Amino acid sequence: MQFGIFTVGDLTQDPTTGTTISENQRIKNTVELARHVEQVGLDVFATGEHHNPPFVPSSPTTTLGFIAAQTDKLLLSTSTTLITTNDPVKIAEDYATLQHLADGRVDLMMGRGNTGPVYPWFGKDIRDGIPLAIENYALLRRLWTEDVVTWEGKYRTPLQSFTATPRPLDGIPPFVWHGSIRSTEIAEQAAYYGDGFFHNNIFWPMSHTRQMVALYRRRFEHYGHGSADQAIVGLGGQVFMRANSQDAVREFRPYFDNAPVYGHGPSLEEFSRETPLTVGSPEQVIERYAAMADSVGDYQRQLFLLDHAGLPHQAVMEQVEILGTQVVPELRKIAAARKPAHVPDAPTHASRLAAAAANAETHSTQDLEEVSR
Amino acid sequence: MTTRRIVVVQAGLGQPSTTRLLAERLANAFEDALLERGEETEVTFVDLREHAHDLANTLLTGFATGRLREALDAVRDADAVIAVTPVFQASYSGLFKTFVDVLDDGALRGTPVLMAATAGTARHSLVLEHAMRPMFAYLKAITVPTGVFAASEDWGTGGTVDTGLSNRITVAAAELADLVTGGGGRAAKASNAPQVDEFADPVPFEDLLAR
Repeated sequence: MQFGIFTVGDLTQDPTTGTTISENQRIKNTVELARHVEQVGLDVFATGEHHNPPFVPSSPTTTLGFIAAQTDKLLLSTSTTLITTNDPVKIAEDYATLQHLADGRVDLMMGRGNTGPVYPWFGKDIRDGIPLAIENYALLRRLWTEDVVTWEGKYRTPLQSFTATPRPLDGIPPFVWHGSIRSTEIAEQAAYYGDGFFHNNIFWPMSHTRQMVALYRRRFEHYGHGSADQAIVGLGGQVFMRANSQDAVREFRPYFDNAPVYGHGPSLEEFSRETPLTVGSPEQVIERYAAMADSVGDYQRQLFLLDHAGLPHQAVMEQVEILGTQVVPELRKIAAARKPAHVPDAPTHASRLAAAAANAETHSTQDLEEVSR
Repeated sequence: MTTRRIVVVQAGLGQPSTTRLLAERLANAFEDALLERGEETEVTFVDLREHAHDLANTLLTGFATGRLREALDAVRDADAVIAVTPVFQASYSGLFKTFVDVLDDGALRGTPVLMAATAGTARHSLVLEHAMRPMFAYLKAITVPTGVFAASEDWGTGGTVDTGLSNRITVAAAELADLVTGGGGRAAKASNAPQVDEFADPVPFEDLLAR
């Protein structure tokens, strides 16, 4: 099972001090955070993509490329890549380039983006969100898997004899997850292609997450990619930990109460009950997150949101430390002990390359047998 | 004997509240009217005051939980709804509208609805026609022709009680009972309601691709 961090990249005032760091500092902090994620033994670092304040990450491959140069094992991902407002041609090229630079340590999570005003800035209309996600991704797949593409669709200029460069590393495109909170069409899309499905459940009750994941698993099997329990599932998470759980609550509460998304709404206690937010001791986090698989089945990727709502960088780095040294080792053991052998791990470049090679070998053996007959 | 599920949504805040009193009178009159038609009633009261915090939270978080979720489900599954609000600043109260705002899409489609409102003065009586009825029309609910409005004087002026309010309650309850037992609402509800459970029955991807 993979564990990691996903960042939204918000630039939020620290409600306890009234200070807001600079964009420059936020971007530099994000890189340091990613390095730390690798140092403490976590697997994945994913960055959001936003094109409006108060967010800084508008150029994910620039940041991920910079991080790739400073890490060795860390898997670089997105949360999410805007498949609606980005040109699929540019996504194909940017992420293939990143794949080469990072030696394959790259995958992506597609998302639509739910900020209405952003769409027209890129010549799109939010009401076309789902059709854009479907058409653009269908084109993106072709750009990665076919060397020469002639294509025509509704939402971009037609392509005549177009080759996206560079070609994906070793001819293997990055693995793709599809992120959606409410849209069943996106779970259906992920299932159709046999791609991963990520439910960012951090603001939602498990009753809803369970429904979305169950739908994806059932349709994954329907489309012939394997049994439902072999589908590739990821979940979000949100935690704040201190050795003493009361210290965690006391320290985190002002950030919760003023957080951009849920602040000034439900209490920390209510929100913790209804969503995966867990504020307390490392043991409480282990207990809560070890039980997630009871609701959604054995899953492949767990990402945590830590650096948001104006939390100081130092506190975020300490959270990564606790997660990497005390929490995730235990969660790994528990997940490994319960996962049946036929449930796969999340695909990586290495595993997909090996699968492709094995596949090619089978075919060439068949060819030889046919020739000898 | 057929039993009809009726949900009374009332936005009264005081204790006692004339809005709650009116809601109870309407529920009782409806029960009587259904009994006359040989049917029974199962009444659920949704007192919005108890859900005020959860309603605000739902606006902010996007999901309803616990008892508010149960109330929303009850409205969606109701055979008829009696909706009663106090008039604040020339319209239904914000609390009442917030509950309507967080209803599931299509929750009231085809549902027979009896509208009622209370206020300190009869000058507000057209709130029923100018604010509530258009809103329920948008929601594709089937409102009964008679809306029931009660101003302070309808509860007594220290002397004699005008029987007008009682008459309106009886008439409106009878209209609602006719709609419910006549099946007027349910045909629309059955044919139009988005009954498709998108989790059980998603749109196949080939169809999405072809759009």
